[in-house]
Amino acid sequence: MIRRLFLLATILAAAVALPARYAFAQTSNNELRFALRADPKTFNPLLMADEPSETVSYLTHGVLIRINRATQQLQPELATSWKVTEGGRKITFTLRQGVTFSDGTPFTSADVVYTFTSMMDPKLHSPIADTFQVDGGPTTAHANGKYEVTIAFPAPVAGLERLFDQAPILSASASGKEASPGLGPFMLAEYKAGNYVLLHRNSHYWKHDAQGKQLPYLDAVRLEIVPNRDLEMLRFAQGELHLINNLDADSFERMAAQNGGASNSARDLGPSLEGEQMWFNQVAASPLPDYKKAWFRSTNFRRAISGAINRHDLTRVVYQNHASPGVGPFSSANKFWFNANLKAHPYDPADALRRLQLDGFHKSGPDLVDASGHVVEFSVITNAGNQSRERVAAMIQQDLKQIGVHLNIVTLDFPSIITRITQSFDYEACLLGLVNVDLDPSAQMNVWMSSGENHQWNPAQKTPATAWEAELDQLMKKQATELDPAKRKAAFDRVQEIVSEQVPFLYLVNKNALTAVSPALGNTQPSVLRPQVYWNAETLTLAAPAAGSKQLAMK
Amino acid sequence: MTPTATKSTIQKMPRILRRVFAALATVLAGGFLCALLIRLAPGYGFDEREMDQRMRAESIRAIRAERTETGFAALYWQNLRAAIGGDLGKSRALNRPIAELFAERLPVTARSMAIGLALAWVFALGLAAAMAVTRSQALNAFAAALSGATLALPSAVIALLFLLAGWPPGLAVAVVIFPRIFRYLDSLTRGILDQPHVLFAEAKGVSRARILAYHVLPVAAEEIAALAGISVSLAFGALIPIEVVCGSPGFGLLAWQAAQARDLPLLVDMTVIVTLFTIAANSIPDFFERAERAA
Repeated sequence: MIRRLFLLATILAAAVALPARYAFAQTSNNELRFALRADPKTFNPLLMADEPSETVSYLTHGVLIRINRATQQLQPELATSWKVTEGGRKITFTLRQGVTFSDGTPFTSADVVYTFTSMMDPKLHSPIADTFQVDGGPTTAHANGKYEVTIAFPAPVAGLERLFDQAPILSASASGKEASPGLGPFMLAEYKAGNYVLLHRNSHYWKHDAQGKQLPYLDAVRLEIVPNRDLEMLRFAQGELHLINNLDADSFERMAAQNGGASNSARDLGPSLEGEQMWFNQVAASPLPDYKKAWFRSTNFRRAISGAINRHDLTRVVYQNHASPGVGPFSSANKFWFNANLKAHPYDPADALRRLQLDGFHKSGPDLVDASGHVVEFSVITNAGNQSRERVAAMIQQDLKQIGVHLNIVTLDFPSIITRITQSFDYEACLLGLVNVDLDPSAQMNVWMSSGENHQWNPAQKTPATAWEAELDQLMKKQATELDPAKRKAAFDRVQEIVSEQVPFLYLVNKNALTAVSPALGNTQPSVLRPQVYWNAETLTLAAPAAGSKQLAMK
Repeated sequence: MTPTATKSTIQKMPRILRRVFAALATVLAGGFLCALLIRLAPGYGFDEREMDQRMRAESIRAIRAERTETGFAALYWQNLRAAIGGDLGKSRALNRPIAELFAERLPVTARSMAIGLALAWVFALGLAAAMAVTRSQALNAFAAALSGATLALPSAVIALLFLLAGWPPGLAVAVVIFPRIFRYLDSLTRGILDQPHVLFAEAKGVSRARILAYHVLPVAAEEIAALAGISVSLAFGALIPIEVVCGSPGFGLLAWQAAQARDLPLLVDMTVIVTLFTIAANSIPDFFERAERAA
């Protein structure tokens, strides 16, 4: 009896396990597979604000101008040429002829006009549209014939061309459809919520290789929805996924160690545009006691805290040397805009105490106290579940203890943090990582302008609270309208200097771009810019893996 | 229908109606409480677009204004009315109709639960029966160790082990609920085996298998039916961490995502479904009990 029951149980388990285990074996050999951390929230590229939606849009839609992720230079895509006129108020594109959408309809200026008209609809709240908005009136698009389009702005826009890298072109004939036919190398074939998004090769794609062969080389891309990072690693190790776009340092080290250097699966591409930063709440209306508000508004206090943090230890211990000390809003990965004259604040507890004494702080036994006798103690909120960030907070806690400052670490889930930093302002300091998706500082207007909602330390000011914030406002406006790149660079260099001096953000580390690429994947040119590995998806190739091969021996 | 049958149906009506009304009240109260808790939870109303550096201040303010336009009571009433009309609404976080999400996710969860429950019950009943028949000390020790070990492991750890082994989540559910079912069954059978009439039958030389079939199982049937209802709820509870860890796209993972995103319409609909499901599962033993009494 018992034997029969065991037998039945084993058969049932095998019946369930086997189909799941070998589901991947049924997929095409020339199908690229990688993971999305969540379901795409939309297939409408004008509304995409989440990374999974951006991934689908990147692979299925074309743009007029593309920023080459390897060179960071502009390259023509659906526009063969363009001309900026009227002092940066107009840009006229000459469109590529003979191009068709994935449904076979021809691409013309009407599609570009339709895309921009739809995108600029104020009711849509398109994040892409906001980058095209300029004060003083609407942005409009006009067709000057079948293959020429002019986009007109009410005021000069600096660095205008690079905005078009983010603007996917939709088909006017598919008006109102969420999943519009695209001009990208792939097209949406199937979406199974919670499981995968399947993209098929776009047989109408316009690009050809040097030998005249139509691109893309791949037949399909399967985007597996894998919310769990460990599961993604496991599937990569088992050869079920071909790439991981963004690894954390621990996973990278584990993979590199198990790889033994025998293959090139794990790659450190150097500094990325991602960093970790901390800031103090300087909102006048926040529910903090006045003496704490005074601490956080003091430049000496902020600069002292910054100098008391050992950034090299953070990069060494938490990021295992796959990061560099944070300097400012851009890392050296941003080749043009990074201010190379600036250095990270050096670790110097003695200097930190000297700066604090200037504001009346002094040591009382092991504690630091302010001029009124309040022990210096504050809390930092950060998001729960991000192990690296929690370890950064713990190390800062230890560093600050050296100068007598008590730091309490509070981990909250992400929505709770956002509510606190954007609505209730019920927090003292916050530690978060911010991602720059755009190389141009104009994309950060909402961060640096004192009226900006993402001016995190003191958002939505009616008038600048400090003289240096007023100067930031002027400089940001100048760089956003000045057409001479050198003058723009000078203005934003000064912004970076002010930020380094006034320390509204304590830039802690810049993380390196860590990726994993299967040896079977060919023509890869991983970049530090998003999307790191598949930015040249149309030229990627897949070699047939040897039977039973694994990408690395994970245990 | 004969006059006797009609009379019987009428007599039963108030009880059935009472059950239906109680179930409806529970569902409505559960949905309302869920909605209230989410509304009061820190982070409610969060929209990740607010953190998008590209968004202009005007757009962020417009997004915030949109979500504050509808009050909580009005929102709940609107959703309730729509649900009665068959429209479950749209998930805020996933931007998709909730009915579609349920249609995709429920079969995944149902499959895992069916496998988990079937395996756990087969194994627990088999082991308890084997112990009752053999009275083997070794089997006793093995069962105690196995159930103790599996009971001590949290669901998430079991899920992680199954994830590493590449086994399906349904098996993890079986491992999680097996010790709970087994320990109850074991205790139940031991109690019945100590009854005087069972001891007398054994002294008279009746075989242990026959004792199990004719003296233990019939006596335990009602409690086993009650345990079956509870085990369904247990399995459902266990599936949430298991699906999250294993990345299985079922109802449990959906609940987790909805909770993290403070997705009020989705969470309320899920609460209603789970409440209905629990009521149904726990009504099964009542049904059997009544059927037995009627017989």
